[in-house]
Amino acid sequence: MVSTLNRKLWRDIRRHRAQFIAVAVTVFLGVTMFVASYDSYLNLDASYQATFTEYRFANVTYVGGDVEALADSAVGVPGVESVSVRTVADHPLRINGLKMLGRIVGVPADRQAEVNQLKVLEGSYLPTGDAILVEEHMANHFDLKPGDSVDLLAGDTWVTAEVAGIVSSPEYIWPSRNRQELITTPDNFGVVFATEETARKLTATGPNEVAIYFVGGADNSGLVEELAGVAAGAGVTADYTRAEQPSNAALAEDIKGFEEMAGFFPLLFLTAAGLASYVMISRLVHAQRPHIGAMLANGMTKRKVLRHYLGYGVVPGLVAAIPGAVAGALLARIITTFYTGLLSVPVTLIEFYPANALGGVLFGVGAAFLAALAPALVASRIRPAEAMRGETPTGGGRTSLLERIIPPLRRLPIRWRMPLRGIGRNPRRTIYTVVGVVLSLMLVLVSWGMIDTVNHLMNTQFVDIQQEDATVYFTGPVGDADISALGEIDGVEVVEPSLEIPVRLVAGADTYDTALVSLDAETEMHRFLSIDGEWLDLGSGLLVGKAVGGLLGVEVGDSIEVQVGLLGASFTEEITGFLGEPLGTLAYVSSGHLTEIAGIDLPATSALIRYEEGVEGGDLRSAITELPNVAAFNDSKAMFDMMQQFMLLFYAFVGVMLIFGGAMAFALIFNAMSANIAERRREVATLLAVGTDRRTISRLITTENLIVAAMGIPIGLVAGYYLSKAAMGTFSSDMFSFDLYVEPMTFVWASLAIVVVALVSQIPGLRAIRRISIPQIIKERAA
Amino acid sequence: MSIVMKQVDKTYGEGATAVHALRGIDLEIPSGEFAVLLGPSGSGKTTALNLTGAIDDVTAGSLVVNGIDVTTLTTDEQIAYRRSEVGFIFQFFNLIPTLTAAENVELVAELTGHDGGNRAREVLNLVGLAYRADHFPAELSGGEQQRVAIARALAKEPPILLCDEPTGELDFETGRMILGLLRDLNRRNNQTVLLVTHNAAVGDMADRVLRLRSGMVVDDLRIDSPVEAEALTW
Repeated sequence: MVSTLNRKLWRDIRRHRAQFIAVAVTVFLGVTMFVASYDSYLNLDASYQATFTEYRFANVTYVGGDVEALADSAVGVPGVESVSVRTVADHPLRINGLKMLGRIVGVPADRQAEVNQLKVLEGSYLPTGDAILVEEHMANHFDLKPGDSVDLLAGDTWVTAEVAGIVSSPEYIWPSRNRQELITTPDNFGVVFATEETARKLTATGPNEVAIYFVGGADNSGLVEELAGVAAGAGVTADYTRAEQPSNAALAEDIKGFEEMAGFFPLLFLTAAGLASYVMISRLVHAQRPHIGAMLANGMTKRKVLRHYLGYGVVPGLVAAIPGAVAGALLARIITTFYTGLLSVPVTLIEFYPANALGGVLFGVGAAFLAALAPALVASRIRPAEAMRGETPTGGGRTSLLERIIPPLRRLPIRWRMPLRGIGRNPRRTIYTVVGVVLSLMLVLVSWGMIDTVNHLMNTQFVDIQQEDATVYFTGPVGDADISALGEIDGVEVVEPSLEIPVRLVAGADTYDTALVSLDAETEMHRFLSIDGEWLDLGSGLLVGKAVGGLLGVEVGDSIEVQVGLLGASFTEEITGFLGEPLGTLAYVSSGHLTEIAGIDLPATSALIRYEEGVEGGDLRSAITELPNVAAFNDSKAMFDMMQQFMLLFYAFVGVMLIFGGAMAFALIFNAMSANIAERRREVATLLAVGTDRRTISRLITTENLIVAAMGIPIGLVAGYYLSKAAMGTFSSDMFSFDLYVEPMTFVWASLAIVVVALVSQIPGLRAIRRISIPQIIKERAA
Repeated sequence: MSIVMKQVDKTYGEGATAVHALRGIDLEIPSGEFAVLLGPSGSGKTTALNLTGAIDDVTAGSLVVNGIDVTTLTTDEQIAYRRSEVGFIFQFFNLIPTLTAAENVELVAELTGHDGGNRAREVLNLVGLAYRADHFPAELSGGEQQRVAIARALAKEPPILLCDEPTGELDFETGRMILGLLRDLNRRNNQTVLLVTHNAAVGDMADRVLRLRSGMVVDDLRIDSPVEAEALTW
C-alpha cells in the first residue's frame, strides 16, 4: 500500500519529470562512468597481472656486465624463483625486401625460457635450430605465417630464417624499443625470437641480459635492492624493474588513465547532478511552503517532512544509479574485451566487481541525498503559521553589483537592467548555475586540451625538433663513402653521420639509463629546445632531457658521470642545458666533443638524411636500403603519421566528452532556468498583462541566462586550463613530457559550445512562458 | 460607450467538467464611469474584468471596448490593446521585486514610448509616492506597493483602469486611501474605472454597482450620490 505522502512524491516527480529526468541522466552518466572506468581498470590490471604470472614476466632485468656470474649469484638469493641468461640485441632484419632495425631475443632451443615465456599463437615453438619465432605485432603487419621467411643480417650477409611460429610476449604487449622510443611503427621495429645459439651467432656477441623472476612473480622492492648489490659487483651497465620495463610502463600509463577517469569524471557529473537536484528541490520546497505549513499544522512530524523531501533526491538518485551501475559493468566488459583484443593481451580477465557497483550506487544516491538534505531541512523547519499565511517572501530587491560598480549602467533602459538584477535575485542559484558552467567547461577542456597537447607535442617533436626524414643504419662504422653514396641518391638533400649509444648517467647514488646521441656540432638534423622554449646550440657540453634533472637531482652546470657500458668506459661531463623534448629523455653531445672527452674516435653507426622538398620517404626507401652497407632504415615520418591516425580515437573521445559535458551543463542550466521561470510566473504574467510581448520577455530571460553563462565561462576556462595541466602532468614521465598546450581557438569553441547549450536548455522554459495563463497566475496567492 | 458586452459567455473546460464563468452577460459602461462589480467568489466578476483587459478570451458574444472589438483580436493585437487601452491594478500588487518603485513604473512607461524616467516621477508624484521612488517593493508597505501598482497602471495613460480587489490585501485605512486615490484619478482624468470587489461597502463610492451571481448580472444599481472614500466603513 503506497502511503499518501509517497503518492504525492510520485505525482510531484511526474509533474516535474523533465527536471527530474535531467538530474537522473546526470547521475546515471556519473555512476556509469565510475563503474565502467574503474571496472575496466581493475579488469585490465588483472589481465596484465595474470599474463605476467602465467608467462613468468621478469621482475627485474640486468643488462651488460658478467651476466653468467650475476645469474649464478642470483639463483641463490632467497626469493628468486628463476633466472634466465639471454642474448638481446637490436639487429637489422629484412622482410619482403624491407630493411629495418628490429630486435633479436635469444631463447632456449628445446623448451620455454624460465623467465619471459612466450605464448605460441600459430605454428610451433622452434622445431629446428635455425628457425625463428615472430612477435605478433610484426607478424600481423607483414602478414607473416609459419613457413614464411625473414632475412637476418649475419656479419655483412643476409641469411634467411624460416618462421616457425607467431608468438606473443609479456615484454612486447606494447612493442617499444626502449623507454626513449616507446612508440614504434611496425615498419621500423619488430621482434624475432631465435635460439640462444642463433642469436649469439647473428649478433656476434655473448649473452648480455639476465632476467630474474621472483617467487610467485610478486613484486619485491627489498629483493630488487638486494640484487642491485649483486648486480653492481657483476658490472651491469643498465637495469630495469618490471614497472620500468618499457612495454609495461607504457601500458601502466595507459590504464592509469582509466583509474584517474574513475575518480575525476564521475566526481564532476555527480557534483553537477547534486547541484541540479538542489536547485530543483529548493524551488519545490519554496513553492510548497503553504502545503508544508498545512501538513505540519495538522500534526505531521518534522522528521516525516524531512524524509519526504529527502525522497525527491534519493528516489531519482536510486532510479538512475542502479541502472547506471549495471550499464557501467556492461560497458567495462566491452571496453576490456575491445582493449585487450586491440593490444593482443595474452590473458583477458573480466570480472564483476560488486563493490564497485555498490560504490557507484552509493555515490549516486549519496550525491542526490546531499543535494536534497538542505532543502529538506528547510522544509522540516518551516513555521506552519508563517507558511500558511500565503505569499512567500520574494526577497528584497537591490541594485545589481554591476550597476554599483559601473554607475552609468543605471541609466540603461529597464529591460537591460532587469536581467542584471535577476542574476543577484537568488545568488545561490546563480552560483550553482555558474558552477555548472564551470564544471562543464572543465570536462570539455580536459579532453580537448589532451588533443591540443598531443597535436602540439607531435608537431614540436616531429616538425620543430627532429629535422631528419629518416635514419639509416649501417652494417659497420659509417665511412665517408657511405655518406657520399646516400647523398648521391636523387631526392636526398642532406646527410649527416650520427651515433646513438646506450649509456648510464650517474650522479652520486642515482642513475638513469638512456642513450647518448652524438651529432655534428652544427647539425641541421636536430634542433635543441630548452625547457624555456628557446633553441640551444649543441656546443661543447652535454644537453639532457629535463627528466634527468629530477631523477638525478642535478642542475645546469653540474657534472655527471656518463658510463658507456659497450665500451667499458666512462667520463664526466658538465650539463650545459636541459631539453624540453616531448618524447624520451636522451642525452646529446657533439661528435667532436665526444671524441675529446672519451679520448677515442667513436665512429658513427648511422646517418640522418633529409629529403628534398616534395619527395616522399616511400619513394627513396628502396633506393637507400639497396646500398651495400645499409642494414636498416627508420622512417621518421611514419611514426608521425601513425600518431595522426591515433588522433582519430582522441577526437572520438573528445566528441563523447563534449556530449557528456553538454548534457551536464544542460541538466544544471535547464533546472536553474525552470526554477527561475517557475518563481517568476507571476511577474511574467504581470508583464504580459501590462502589454509586454512574449518576445521581449523571452529576450529578458535569455539575456539573464547568457550573462550567468558568461560569468561561468572565464572561471571555467581558467579552472579547466589548470585542471588539464594537472591531468597532463600526471602522465608526464621520462618517457613522455606532457606539457599542456591549448590552442586559443579551443577556448573560443568550448565557450561557444557552452553558450549554445545555455540557449538550448532554456527552450523548454521559454515554451512554458507561451503557455502561461495570465488570469490564473495573477490571482494566485502563493508564489 | 467605453465598454460594451453583449451576450458574453465564458466557459472553462469542456463536457462534463465545463465551468460556465459568465452566462450571456449584457453590459454597457460609459466613458469616465466608476463602476464596481460586486459578488461572491465564483460569480464571474474577475472573469468579466479579465475579458475586458484581453488577458482571457471570450467564448461567445461580443465585447467592444472604446470601439475595438476585443473578441477578434490576434495575440499581437491583444498586446497592443493592453498597452494602449487598459491599465491593470491587481490584488497582490504584482510588482517586480528586483525593480525599484520608479523602475516598475518606467518599465511600463517605456512600453508606450514615454520618457520612462520623467513619466515615472510624474505618476509617482500623482499617487503621492515620489519620495519612495528609489525603494524596492520589499521596502514598501502594502499600501505603498499598491500605490506603485496604480502609478504603473497610470504610466501608459490608459482610458480604462481595471482593478481586481485592489484593497484585498490592505488594512482598512490603507484600503480607503487607495480607493480615494482611484476615485480621484477617475474624476481628474475622466478615466473609466472597473473595480472588482466582494466588499459591498465599496459600492457606496461608485457611480454604479453591478452585482453578479453564477455568471450573470443580477442587479445593476446607479448611485446618484456616491460618498467619498474617506466616508466608507466596513
